[in-house]
Amino acid sequence: MLQIQNISKDMGEFFLDHASLEISKGEYIVIIGPTGAGKTILLETVAGIYEPDGGSIHLDGNDITHAPPKDRNITMVYQDYMLFPHLTVRDNIAFGLKSKKVPSDEIHEAVQRYAEMLHIAHLLHRYPDTLSGGEQQRAAIARAMVMSPWALLLDEPLSALDSKTRENLRKELKDLHEITKTTIIHITHNFEEVFDLADRVAIMNEGKMVQIGVPDEIFRKPKNHFVAEFVGATNVFKGTSTSENGIASVKIGNIIVRAHSEVEGDVYISVRPEEILISTAPLASPIRNAFPGKISEIRHCGAMIRLIVDIGVTFVVALTRQGFEEAELGIGDLVYIAFKATSVHLFPGKSTTE
Amino acid sequence: MRRGVKSPLRVATIAIGVGLALFIVLLLLLIMSHPTLEGMINSLKSPEIHFAIYLSLVTSFISTGLCILIGVPAAYALARYDFPGKHVVNTILDMPLALPPLVAGVGLLLFFGTTPVGEALAMAGLVFVFTPLGIIVAQFFVNVPFMLRIMRSTFEGISPRYEYVAKTLGCNDTQALWRVTLPMAANGFLAGSVITWAKGIGEFGAALMVAGATRMSTETLPISLFLNMSCGKLDLAISAATILIFMSLLSLYIFERYGGFTRL
Repeated sequence: MLQIQNISKDMGEFFLDHASLEISKGEYIVIIGPTGAGKTILLETVAGIYEPDGGSIHLDGNDITHAPPKDRNITMVYQDYMLFPHLTVRDNIAFGLKSKKVPSDEIHEAVQRYAEMLHIAHLLHRYPDTLSGGEQQRAAIARAMVMSPWALLLDEPLSALDSKTRENLRKELKDLHEITKTTIIHITHNFEEVFDLADRVAIMNEGKMVQIGVPDEIFRKPKNHFVAEFVGATNVFKGTSTSENGIASVKIGNIIVRAHSEVEGDVYISVRPEEILISTAPLASPIRNAFPGKISEIRHCGAMIRLIVDIGVTFVVALTRQGFEEAELGIGDLVYIAFKATSVHLFPGKSTTE
Repeated sequence: MRRGVKSPLRVATIAIGVGLALFIVLLLLLIMSHPTLEGMINSLKSPEIHFAIYLSLVTSFISTGLCILIGVPAAYALARYDFPGKHVVNTILDMPLALPPLVAGVGLLLFFGTTPVGEALAMAGLVFVFTPLGIIVAQFFVNVPFMLRIMRSTFEGISPRYEYVAKTLGCNDTQALWRVTLPMAANGFLAGSVITWAKGIGEFGAALMVAGATRMSTETLPISLFLNMSCGKLDLAISAATILIFMSLLSLYIFERYGGFTRL
């Protein structure tokens, strides 16, 4: 278990403000957050590059807050690879084992094993600047993994790669995690990586951990306005709530949306675009939230179609391409949208971060 | 950028640049072609020129070594760490660049000749005033800023994240510097060493002040040029000058090749 407790570190532009995170052995944690949220400093502090101003880090019960990086058994991979340019791929991967004075035949074997696992065994004699981005990142991952670290820290490992390479390497990271069961903490801006890789996801903003949970929970139940906006729940509205018997009525402009909540006063609500039904006729089912409106825009986003529907406020409704074609909808059409009260997520809206 | 063929600005500025280059080449050719070939060869065979070459090489290699020993660590600190007064230290370390070497020489002479430290060193057998040791210390003092500046910008150009990675791979600070940053700084190191060496070979003003100009004792190539010029032994003087020209050309080539100018 890696316990990061109330870590603070002020580096001027970037800072950590009482950030806490607990990671079980073997877990794959993805950290997302806007630029400047303090994600990289967090990893570097966990790796031991910086000593925190406050807080503590424990690894399996041992206090490693002030331990030097080399004694932590935590390795790190950066977005721009950081392969040592004066060493071959083989010597790069062997670097850490040589530091630990591992016998050379064992080093040779370990380098070979990880190079094969990451499909770079044919590149071992080359120098890093002759490799593609994807190959360099594989080498960097091999260099970190060959140490059999307690945790592998990945700082936007796929961000510098083209989309095809990124996808391949993402799959391989997943395989690598399944095979080796290494604990991984992975920073990204990319939500696909969250859904594909994360056991749990942590959202950071302004040096703090804003919300930690399984990906689905974060996307469906953003804890506050910031998380909702950040994870892209597009239907986020500010309103005033009055609650009765556990049912909140939230007044947003001229409409009233019902939700299961006892929170009153200023609130935000969010409704995921895929959880909204749309039809050209009024819906007969006893659904709580149903509103007539008009399609004002149609956006094509790959396999999904997003309809912008004006019901007094504008909602985004997501449809599959097939569903969209079958419904024969066009701009200006009068439609009805409906969603369950349980689909409405409500959170207090006093500040954007609390 | 204007590309008009008849742009007066273009013609004028190019003419100035080319004219300057031609003037430099002319001067060098003039020096080298002045003595007869025979006179030149005889001079090159003279014990005095041999001594000057020997002394110049020895002093410049040692002073370059000192510049490396002092300049590289200082440059690393200035590139990597923040500390109170860093800005002031940075500015002061660049000072010898602007200081006339003669003035630096006077300072060194006073330091080694009149202070208790200088006297203590002399008692211990390290006499700097009017000895080759003085030449070394003069070359070091005048040239260490070049080493420092080149290495500072070299280190600044290497992301500290290389060291971070090395540390997670079992290195302490010093090992990370030794195994990663220094090898990556090799080009800058080479450029810095070459320019320091070349400047050391040519050092005159400060060395003259501290070590004086004594024939066959503190007679480096520039001092030899000066001494022989003053007493009309033109062949010897020109030989010394010619050797200096070749050394400069060689070091300029190496310096440029390893990207020295971008780091100065």
